[in-house]
Amino acid sequence: MKKYETVIILNPNLSSKVETFIKEFEKLLKQHSFSINKMENIGRRQLSYSINNHNKGHYLIFNIEGDSLQLIDIENKIKYNESIIRHLFISVKEHFGEDSQLLIDSKNKKSDSEDTEEKGDIKKEINIKKTKKEKTTDEEESSKDNKEEEQENSVEITKEESKEEEKDE
Amino acid sequence: MSKYELPKKFDYKDVNLLKEFITETGKIIPARVTGVSASNQRKLTRYIKIARFLALIPYTDMHN
Repeated sequence: MKKYETVIILNPNLSSKVETFIKEFEKLLKQHSFSINKMENIGRRQLSYSINNHNKGHYLIFNIEGDSLQLIDIENKIKYNESIIRHLFISVKEHFGEDSQLLIDSKNKKSDSEDTEEKGDIKKEINIKKTKKEKTTDEEESSKDNKEEEQENSVEITKEESKEEEKDE
Repeated sequence: MSKYELPKKFDYKDVNLLKEFITETGKIIPARVTGVSASNQRKLTRYIKIARFLALIPYTDMHN
């Protein structure tokens, strides 16, 4: 039993049929006694260069575990599937349960709901880092202020207490 | 004295990280320029080549 990572780039024109493809692929994996540890549906993404006259691709990433000989059979069946633009099986030492950077990026893009270019993303990241740094410094300052305020308050409270004592007398 | 600090775990999916280690034309920048350790440079080259195959980063700037 070996652990593998599979990346499959689907034809972007068939994006609506992705769910059925995923089901079929999972069935194929189960037939060959493969277990699926994680599936990531990254969605449509700009390709860095055109493959078979496609400029976009629908990325899917599977973390799977199974026998190496069975994998050859799976690959032979996938090879002639026309809806797949490109596929890759690589063996990995371990599966990391965390979301991959690609998935996080695609989620961020969806939330922005703007088709920003990749260069813009890098700039944004830098900006985010800067703001984070500023925030931390702000927090430090604010914590200092709080401490000072607390001290002042305590001083005031003691004054008030002393006043009350005087009244009592 | 590494100019770029690399995280402990990274792979071919960390596209934004890999993009820092290729030139504008898509070449892999040598370790003597970036100051990356030898083992990390080997990882980088491996992952950059995988990412190129998956069209995550370009082979060259001459793609049509």
